[in-house]
Amino acid sequence: MTRHLPTIALGALLALAALSIVFSVRPGPEPTLSERAGALARELRCPDCQGLSVADSPTSSAREIRRQIDELLATGGSDQAVRNHFVARYGDWILLAPRSPLPWLVPLAFVIAGIAGMVAWLAGRTRPPPAASPLTAEERRGLREEAEALDA
Amino acid sequence: MRHLRWLLIPLVVLPLGLLLLSGFGRDPREIASPILGRPAPEWSLTTLDGKALGTDALAGRPYVVNFWASWCIPACVDEHPVLAAAHERYGDEVTIVGVLYQDDPGAAESFLARYGNAGYAHAVDERGALAIDYGVTGPPETFFVDADGIVRAKQFGPLTDALLADRMASILNVAER
Repeated sequence: MTRHLPTIALGALLALAALSIVFSVRPGPEPTLSERAGALARELRCPDCQGLSVADSPTSSAREIRRQIDELLATGGSDQAVRNHFVARYGDWILLAPRSPLPWLVPLAFVIAGIAGMVAWLAGRTRPPPAASPLTAEERRGLREEAEALDA
Repeated sequence: MRHLRWLLIPLVVLPLGLLLLSGFGRDPREIASPILGRPAPEWSLTTLDGKALGTDALAGRPYVVNFWASWCIPACVDEHPVLAAAHERYGDEVTIVGVLYQDDPGAAESFLARYGNAGYAHAVDERGALAIDYGVTGPPETFFVDADGIVRAKQFGPLTDALLADRMASILNVAER
């Protein structure tokens, strides 16, 4: 079983890659303007709230931002153009999720390093004692002679 | 090899400690403004006394945009005399404009009646679109725009005389050049 683990892992990886290609290529229903506006409102931080998105906030700033999202989308703006419109005013702070992959990757790197450290530590602890080296022919003969001497 | 393990402790602890320590000196609510050094947003609004005011009228000389609200207490009350004194002192060179942030014009009028009206104009930003263009997160926030229409400085939180003089220098120097 353990011998086949790398093969199984490779198979799983290939299957996942194939599935992701199928899902990305398969044409889903085109999102409507209001669906896109809702998704963008959930991505943007309400500027005068504590940790709420524009979609979840009742403040007049949030209401105005939702209005501007609708307006930008209605005039043919892309989702990225809408994000850029608000980032130009508030900086990346306005996005609830960071754009750089670093904040996602660093914790992952720490977890992997931790697991690697643990494995190394456990492997070091349960290392079997060095196997006894087989006796040389000379030692064997010596022992036999001793045994015979005792028998006699 | 065994000594390297001890090297690792300061290598991890020192940078982490410094990182955390540097955070103590900062206001976590203050966000870096991307509009500094960029052209100021253009706008056209109505003032409390019903006149039209906008960037067309302000162009050509430095101006200060102060976002405030009558409900912003005590910060806006504290900085009110600072702005009044600034209007008195710099009025010939710099235009000061108040912008109401999510406030009712009637409440703003009462505030001015109570704490003194220095005489500079206050624009009513009814939908809050101008506050969004400036990236305002809460009053008071003040922006200093030079004669070329570039935002040169931002004050997050109430102004004091010293802070105002410092920010004002960033737009006056350009005017004198």
